[in-house]
This record gives sequence, structure tokens and C-alpha cells, in this order.
Amino acid sequence: MSIKYIVREGISGIKRTKLAATTSIFSLFVAVLLLGILTRIGFNVYSQAMSIKELVEVEVFLLDVDERTMDQIRQQIESEELVIDATYISKDSASAIMREEFGAGVEELAELNFLPASYRLSVNTDAGAESIETMVSRLQNIRGVDEVEYNAALLRVMESNLNTFSMVGGGIGILILLAALVLVYNTIRLTIYAKRDLIRAMKLVGATHKFIRSPFIVEGILQGLIAGSLAVLSIFFIFELAMPYYLPDLGLLEWPFGRWYFLAGAMLLLSMMMGWWGSRWAARRFIKETYISE
Amino acid sequence: MSETAVIELKNVTLNYDKNRVLDDVNFKLHNGEFAYLIGPTGIGKSTFLKLLYRDVVPDSGTVRVTEYPVNKISEREVPMLRRRLGIVFQDFQLLKDRNVFDNVAFSLQVTGEKPKFIKERVLEVLTMVGLSHRRKHLPRDLSGGEQQRVVIARALANEPRILLADEPTGNLDPKATKEIMELLRTINNRGMAVLMITHDYAVVKKYKARTVRMVNGKTQDLVWKGDKLVPVK
Repeated sequence: MSIKYIVREGISGIKRTKLAATTSIFSLFVAVLLLGILTRIGFNVYSQAMSIKELVEVEVFLLDVDERTMDQIRQQIESEELVIDATYISKDSASAIMREEFGAGVEELAELNFLPASYRLSVNTDAGAESIETMVSRLQNIRGVDEVEYNAALLRVMESNLNTFSMVGGGIGILILLAALVLVYNTIRLTIYAKRDLIRAMKLVGATHKFIRSPFIVEGILQGLIAGSLAVLSIFFIFELAMPYYLPDLGLLEWPFGRWYFLAGAMLLLSMMMGWWGSRWAARRFIKETYISE
Repeated sequence: MSETAVIELKNVTLNYDKNRVLDDVNFKLHNGEFAYLIGPTGIGKSTFLKLLYRDVVPDSGTVRVTEYPVNKISEREVPMLRRRLGIVFQDFQLLKDRNVFDNVAFSLQVTGEKPKFIKERVLEVLTMVGLSHRRKHLPRDLSGGEQQRVVIARALANEPRILLADEPTGNLDPKATKEIMELLRTINNRGMAVLMITHDYAVVKKYKARTVRMVNGKTQDLVWKGDKLVPVK
């Protein structure tokens, strides 16, 4: 099988059926662009939510205990899997923090030596509110611990919103993908239908199904490449030029994982895979159903 | 299969939409033989050819083409069978967006031949059909007779053992018909078996050869008796 022939046929296939090829490219472009926009917005929403969640701290207030008990408490805290870091805040530090937060005149309002010593914990918020709650109740049972406080409500709201967003976003993403696949399949089928004479002639002279299919697959991948490139350019245009200009209040939405090429690469790859898959599926069925004499 | 037969049908029965098209047909075409398959329109002549290039499979009986047991081979082997056959239709089936050279070359490209060989072979078969000077023209620039000659050139490019022609002169004027018939005879004289479907009595009479008629789902050999074709006793 001549690779050169297949690639050449694949490229000229786009030129020969311009309208059908344009339709395929357009449907792929729209699908990949929508998924790209959804991904970029979704990623930003997710990272914002995660940075808010990271603000959630657990404070373990201690009774007046001796140093040995304090060490034991520290060891028990640090043995918790969710605890990333534990900072000890002595009574004096607590007063200083209070003064810093409420201003120099706070002593006139209240005696500051009532503030207890505490451990301020940074926790892994990925584990979810439920795991944190379980950990908190464990910490509360440690001898020498007076009280454990954290913003459970914020964590729960964040988590619930994030779950809703993930489900809705994921659902929309899957719907777009499915709609795009059906659209791509049907438009590529149209492209192939426009070449039924070629398929019949190929069958007539003894071409194998694989040979007949190959140029269509090359064509599908090329269409995916063109559509993907256009979608990436559009994403650049929308998020780097249009949005900062027309919606400056939104600020610049970050590229997923901080680099443009992750999303651009994923979009190109997805587009090419959809082109490959759509053309393979359509070509397989159509070639099988085409008879030499009709 | 007998040693010299390139096509052999044994007790072949085929139904189409509950109608019996072929009924216990037995037929042989020998190596290098020229035969006409005649009969009125709709009698099943084209279906007979479809059996040979495996566009349909019989309900019972066996079909053999060269070394291929056509009704038993797998889908993967069908292209190999078709490479043993040159197939010519009435409606040309040329690719309109490719020139004469590319239309013929294409049959060799699909079999994976090298470009140098393809070029030589295409020019050879185009010369054989008298169209090497028209190799850069598109099908629409050619007459019906010329287009049919391109189709024959494409069918010959792979050096098949058998040429199957389904009404190859059906759309042609008398002059073009003469050219095509002479070309088919030349090809046959070089040793290739030819099975031609026609309902043109004048052609059968002018270019005499073995003639088989399809009647009531069966084949019947005919011979010339004076000006008439009569069944072989």
C-alpha cells in the first residue's frame, strides 16, 4: 500500500469535495471551540474555588496544659493525614495577632490574656468537608484540647457549588461531544457519499477495504487539524483580545495549568481524533454498504 | 473445475426478492474463450455477472472463477478475486475529475504497484486501446466510444485472466460499437477469456462467437443455423 498515494488522495479529497469538507471542518470547529471555552472557564472556576477552599483553616484551641501534654497534642495533630502544617500560636502571640487585627486600642475593650494557646492547621481541602469533620471530631477528643473551630459552612457551600458546577459542566461537555460526534459522523458520511463513484470504481478494480478507507481517514484527520487550529486561534482571540477589551472587569482568565499549549494541544488532539474516528466509522459503514453495481 | 475452465457454475440457484433469477444453472467459460450472454432485459444477465465478481452470492450451488471458489471466499479475498477480472459496464464508471492517464493508473495504484511500473503499464494499455495521445484529457472531453476504451484500458491494466463486459456497446453509436468490438476481439485473440452480456442481436451476428442465452433462469447454448440462432441439441 503506497503511503504517498494515500496521503495525496487524502489531501486532494478535501479539494475535490469542497462543500462537504467545509461542512465537516465547520462542525468540528464549533464542537472543539465550545469544548475549549468550557474547559478554560471551568478550569478558572475550579482554581478559584480551590484557592478559596485553601483559606479554610482549622484552629485547635488548647486548655492550660503543660509542655509535655502540648507535645503529645502536637504529635497527635501531626499524625492526622489531612494536616499539611501545624503552627503553634502561644497565648502571647494570640494577643499580638488580636492587637494587629483590631488595632492598638483593643486592650481598652477587653483583657487580652483570656486568649488561649492554639494550633493553626493547614489542611488538605481536597479530602472534602466530611473527612475534615471526622478529623475535627477526633481532634476534639484529644485530652487537653478545649475547642476546635473551622469554617464548616464555607467549605460545605464551596464543595456543593463545585459539585454542581462539575456535574453541569461535565454534562454540557459530554452533550457537546456527543452532538459533535454525530454531526461529524454525518457530515463525513456526506463527504464520503459524494465520492461513491470513486468507492465503486476502487472496489471494481480490486482495492481492499482498508485501502479505500485510508484516504478518507487521512482526510478526516486533516479536517480535524484544520478545525482544531481554527478553534485554538479563536480561543486566543476570545480570551486574550476580545474579553479583556469588552469585559475588562472579568480580568484575564488563566490558561489551564498555566501554559497555553496544554489546552491548545488538547484541542488539536481532540479535533484530530474526532476527525479520525468520524471518518473511520463513516467510511467503514459506507464502504461495506456500497456495491459495484447499483 | 476442469483444467481449462476459468469460470464454472455448478447447480447455481439464486433468488432475488422471492423471485427465482437463476435456477440450477450450469455454465463453463474456458481459458481464452469469447462468449456472449444474451437474453431480454430483466432476465438476470447482470445478476449472473454479479455472481462472478461477488456482488451477490448464490443461494445454492458453487461458483468458481479462476482458482477462487467465489461463494466460499472471505470478504478479505474478494479484492484479490476482482484483480483477476477486468470489468466493463455500459455506464463507463470513469472518475470525472481525473484525466485518462489517472483513471487507468488508479487501478494499479490500488494494488500497490510502483510509480515507474504504473507509468509504463498505463501507456502500454492506452496504446493498446489507441488512446495514448488523449491521456491528459478529462472523460468529458472524450466521445462515448473513447470513454469505453478508457474503461477497457483500466480493466486490462492489471492483466486479468477474464474480461467481463456488461452491455459495453449499449450506449454507443455503430462506429464506436465497431471499434469496441474489434478491441474486444483483439484482447481475446491475445488469450484473455471474454464474457460479454448484450441484447444487441446485430453485434452477436456480426462478430460471431459462442452464444449462450438465458431463459427461465437457465442458460442455453445456441448455434448459428443460417441467419438464426438455435439451441444446441
